[in-house]
Amino acid sequence: MSALADHHSTRAAPARKRPSWRRLPAAPISLAAGAAAWELIGQLAGMSFFPPLSTVLARLADMATSGLIVTSLADSLVNLILGFAISLAAGLVAGVAMGRYRKVEAALGVYVYALLTAPSLVFAPIFFSLLGEGRGSIVAVVVMYAMFVIIINTASAIQSVPVHLVEMARSYGAGERQVLLRVMLPAAAPMIMAGVRLGVGRAVTGMINGEMFIAVVGLGRIVTQAGGRFDSAGVLAVLLVIIAVALGAVALVQAVDRRITRWVPRTTRGNQ
Amino acid sequence: MTAAFRAGPRPARRPDVLRRLAGASLPYQLLTFTVFAAGWELYARGWGGLLIPTFTETVAATVELLGSAELWRAMYVSNQALVLGFGIAVVVGVPAGIVLGRFRLLERFADVYLNILLVTPMAAIIPLLMMSVGFGLASRVILVTIFSIVMVVVNSRTGVRQVDPSLIEMARSFGASERQIWTRVLLPGALPAIMTGIRLGVGRAVTGMVIVELLMVSTALGGLILEYRGLFKAPLLYGTIVIILAEALLLISVARWGERRLTRWAQTTTARNAR
Amino acid sequence: MGSDDYGKERALIEIRGLGKSFVGQDNETVEALRDVNLDVGENEFLTVLGPSGCGKTTLLKTIAGLIPWNDGDIRIDGTPVRGPGPDRSMVFQNFALLPWATVLDNVAFGLRMRGVGRAEREERARSLIAMVGLSGFETKRPGELSGGMQQRVGLARALAMRPRVLLMDEPFGAVDEQTRRLLQEELLSIWEEHRMTVVFITHSMEEAVLLGDRVVLMSARPGRISEIVPVPLERPRSSDVGALERSGQYVEITAYLWDRLRDMHEEHRPSKVAG
Ligand SMILES: Nc1ncnc2c1ncn2[C@@H]1O[C@H](COP(=O)(O)OP(=O)(O)OP(=O)(O)O)[C@@H](O)[C@H]1O
Ligand SMILES: [Mg+2]
Repeated sequence: MSALADHHSTRAAPARKRPSWRRLPAAPISLAAGAAAWELIGQLAGMSFFPPLSTVLARLADMATSGLIVTSLADSLVNLILGFAISLAAGLVAGVAMGRYRKVEAALGVYVYALLTAPSLVFAPIFFSLLGEGRGSIVAVVVMYAMFVIIINTASAIQSVPVHLVEMARSYGAGERQVLLRVMLPAAAPMIMAGVRLGVGRAVTGMINGEMFIAVVGLGRIVTQAGGRFDSAGVLAVLLVIIAVALGAVALVQAVDRRITRWVPRTTRGNQ
Repeated sequence: MTAAFRAGPRPARRPDVLRRLAGASLPYQLLTFTVFAAGWELYARGWGGLLIPTFTETVAATVELLGSAELWRAMYVSNQALVLGFGIAVVVGVPAGIVLGRFRLLERFADVYLNILLVTPMAAIIPLLMMSVGFGLASRVILVTIFSIVMVVVNSRTGVRQVDPSLIEMARSFGASERQIWTRVLLPGALPAIMTGIRLGVGRAVTGMVIVELLMVSTALGGLILEYRGLFKAPLLYGTIVIILAEALLLISVARWGERRLTRWAQTTTARNAR
Repeated sequence: MGSDDYGKERALIEIRGLGKSFVGQDNETVEALRDVNLDVGENEFLTVLGPSGCGKTTLLKTIAGLIPWNDGDIRIDGTPVRGPGPDRSMVFQNFALLPWATVLDNVAFGLRMRGVGRAEREERARSLIAMVGLSGFETKRPGELSGGMQQRVGLARALAMRPRVLLMDEPFGAVDEQTRRLLQEELLSIWEEHRMTVVFITHSMEEAVLLGDRVVLMSARPGRISEIVPVPLERPRSSDVGALERSGQYVEITAYLWDRLRDMHEEHRPSKVAG
């Protein structure tokens, strides 16, 4: 039975047969090649600002054992989590309000769009004068980076919930709260999660930029410090950590997304 | 036959000015702005101190700045990096994206790096730039380029990739050469997405410029911000930020307008799903 | 054929002087219903037929209490309709299933909205799923079902409420012809077993005659009842639909309905207006 099925599928899909390179996992190979090239060029060129990968990794190990990386990473993650949590909560509330009530959208729409497209870091000096030189300003910068994309996506997600589903729910006696919780939010979840995914990426950027501008805590501060010492291996070592944080945060959101939106048919999934 | 029913009796028209106004967004936008400005004014008067100017002081300072030579000099210097960096991003990024879109093998291996570039906070490489290229125009231009090029590449690639393969087959069946396929099918089909990439690239280039000024070398606008902050000239500090914001929004709207003008045909002929 | 042929039994739904206008985007008004008077008897199967846009859906939604109306009065068993109620459930043309919920949860949705406890609602949902022949599909999601199966879920969801009135808006309009016939026979046999009042909207003359005790003919612009045609075919009809469709009476009534409908379409054809 299964042999028959196999036979069938190979015959039915000749397009599946691809050249052998197609089946290689591209990402690891590509990363390994990149690492090798980095090492080689770093060794051969001998430029102080481009140390080979091995030197960078050694420096990273140093920083890790001295605890510098760990404490800075912890500080950064606190900034990130605080800022992202605020963005998520405020973004969902504002987005739902904008998506549900035309007047709220009329009142806030333009400003949210403007703040989404504007370079968020210009607000850093303002936060600096409002909140002082501390964690509060960094968190505010993170919120500035992450919140608006969540608002916009949530609002348009709510607006594109099919009217007939809402009508169906009302015909079965659902109240405003039930319509929101049982129909609108689940229906809007895939698109909201797309916004959250973009938001988390922007939050990491906001965290680093904020920490570099208000250099009191975190990975952003030690990048700046290493730069000040002309310690290029240190800069690159922290950069590796930052990339790991960014990819990790996005992967986490994607995992949550996949759990929440399992019902979406494969074919209609957005491919970002 | 159904069409006949659509052409029924004329519906009554009621030009109700009040209703129309309530339906439009402008009054609500003005209301939001007024509440924001009044809140700012009250807060700054009550608890502002030396560091937080009132709304009116900021408006006055912005007007004053717009008349000062110092600001325009700073604008000129900052925008040099913006224009050069963005120009390079387009000139290099569009062909790179098109090549990636057409040659799948290359794309498969470049994909990881594009993804990493998309999520990595680029500002962290600033110290390396300073070590290698120094504090001059070159490092500022490079930073703006790095900021904007990813958007241009990714969207150009998407544009080429989303061209309907059956159109290419169609062109082949009519005997089109590879060159003709490029100029008649692939490039026109990819144009809307490329324009989207350029528009998003403008936004990122402006961001790059601001980051150069605030985190890298505060030569121009960033220098003004530092100077006003040091001297506790809060209204002028806020005024500078207002002007930078205004420039950013202006550039982005111009880019959006240009995108719409250049790709108007695309709205009906191709699906515009490149974000 | 007058409008009060029916009337031996007491009317369950009483509609008096119902009028409904929509206000469109540009403040233009569309008169969807004008002076609609209708009595629907207890356990009657009423089908509603009319050209597209004549207000059939609007009529059904007002009975469901989903939209407000301008004039007149709707009563269910003497009680004025003020909104959706558990005595009425609706089956939708496009199914309106929640794509993220399982078949079981979809069928139980209405019960949940009405605060029925988990154990009871699942038990009732399971028995309804069995009644529409979907046992074994409880944990599937709508995306994994065919159109016909999806509408069975929609029907089960409505029946789970044990409504006195079942409101169906072109429920089989979105499924293929063969599936539609199966669903029609199934609906007939369910109704013959568990009698209830049904208001069933359709575009199909055959469907209207096959299912209905009476056929309400509506005309457009403004939507109003032009005629009510009794269908004196014997019941139960589900046992031999084929023989029924060959019977002279059936053919005669469908032909009559088409004559009346064609007149309505002709009236609204612009070229014929002068003549
Ligand atoms: N929400 C609305 N806003 C404005 N006009 C509406 C609205 N809903 C319906 N109408 C108008 O009311 C009229 C009747 O619509 P309705 O949907 O009830 O027709 P219908 O008989 O169900 O048509 P169909 O057979 O195509 O489903 C139409 O002219 C329609 O354009
Ligand atoms: Mg309808």
